[in-house]
Amino acid sequence: MIKWGKVWSDFFIFLALTSNVGFIFSGDPYQLIIALGVNLIATVLKFGAKKILAAELLATALVADLHLIPATILYFTHTHVDLAIGLAIGAVIANVISIIMLIIEIIFEYSKEEDY
Amino acid sequence: MRRISSSKKGKPYGNVKPKNYRAIYEEKFYDILLQLRYPLMTIIFFTTLGVLMLMIINQKTDGKSVLNYLFHTIITFSTVGYTEGYDTERLMLNRFFTSIFIIITLPLVYMYGLVSVVNIFMNSNIQEIYRYWRMYKNMEKLKGHYIVCNFNGITKELIKVLKKRKIKFVLIEPDRSKEEEIKEFGVEFYVIDEPYKRDVLLGVGIEKARGLITAFEENTQDIAVIVTARLIRPDREGFYIVSTATNEESAEKMKLLGSNEVIVPNIAIGRRIASFIFHRSTPILDRFLERIAYGERTDIDLIEVYIDDKNELIDKKLKDIKLPQETGTTVVAIIKENGKMKISPSGDTVIDRGDHLILLGHPKALRRAEEFIKKYHIETEAIS
Repeated sequence: MIKWGKVWSDFFIFLALTSNVGFIFSGDPYQLIIALGVNLIATVLKFGAKKILAAELLATALVADLHLIPATILYFTHTHVDLAIGLAIGAVIANVISIIMLIIEIIFEYSKEEDY
Repeated sequence: MRRISSSKKGKPYGNVKPKNYRAIYEEKFYDILLQLRYPLMTIIFFTTLGVLMLMIINQKTDGKSVLNYLFHTIITFSTVGYTEGYDTERLMLNRFFTSIFIIITLPLVYMYGLVSVVNIFMNSNIQEIYRYWRMYKNMEKLKGHYIVCNFNGITKELIKVLKKRKIKFVLIEPDRSKEEEIKEFGVEFYVIDEPYKRDVLLGVGIEKARGLITAFEENTQDIAVIVTARLIRPDREGFYIVSTATNEESAEKMKLLGSNEVIVPNIAIGRRIASFIFHRSTPILDRFLERIAYGERTDIDLIEVYIDDKNELIDKKLKDIKLPQETGTTVVAIIKENGKMKISPSGDTVIDRGDHLILLGHPKALRRAEEFIKKYHIETEAIS
């Protein structure tokens, strides 16, 4: 059985990473707006999850946001475009960590289902 | 199959985890956040979409324009709405997009998103949740406290005294309808739960508590609490249980099951009435002993000291011990081994083995007296 709520949140978590990577390689303003929006949604979807690693997942998402928001401001004010790209790379690392933790959580959940 | 079993070294009261009251209210807070997920997601999604679409339509990606588009999007879906506020060559296309955007975002972002975010905050009682959370967080730090079961006339009186003496306690009340009254009474720590459950007693810190008082109207409830508490804390000396019973038969049973003291209200009241008949009160000596016993007077107290057969004080006269001079306490009575009581013994009274000395004085002086008498105890255990 596919849990659609989980598809929804996982979709945005993966999309956060891919759109971020897309911005780093293209340096395109459209892509930056998409990356920021998707990252914010990915954060919001992690609110209130009562699973193991929920706090860590939320923390990584907030880290990604706090990289991307300054990056957006810097990028559109044309002051430090290089730094904006650098911050986006930081956000990508946070996204990758978040996906690793998501996988750990999935493994834990499956082993629990086996148990009971 | 592999199984993460919890068959570690079992505790005598079974494998029960303490109920975590703090976590219950933490979860309630997470539930509020959970409700915010989709409204906030809608807002963010349409803001991003609006800015992107305006960027595409107007073919501008400089910082100033993007900020203008963000502003335009927000004033559109929040129904503030003045016109664009920026120059554009594609005004008609811009307005066409905005019209469609308003039709979609007014119900979705404004009605569903913004209004429900405000609604969730207004209806969720965050203040109440925080109050409980803080209470249970502080409750976890309690040590050497008392557990009081049930909120009624008897325990109300008890709570007053405990508060006066600044002794910490946790009240357990199974009836949720009494909660308002408990709050108004100024009880610092309380849980609304069934006190005979092991997880509840563990949750209020019975392992660190000094004692438990149970005063239900029904004996069966009291017995259930006593048995559960004794299961977790079997040492009668280290954990003091006081309970009430409706008749002597139940009182005896409660003592056998682990209660240190049992009070039968009817008998206690009857005896009190009798004592008033035989001892008419005078203005100065008005209920002197009562006030000591009930903790109204904190400057004076009574204790009992037992003289066992390894004490050097045996066969000495009271006046030779010089207890008043050395410690500031007075021997008001001696209870002999056979149960006979000698009231206000003279200085020539000789101390026998097995005597219980009743001392009166300031609590500090009484502690000195206890140490003083202990000093005369012959240490024979060390040799044997």
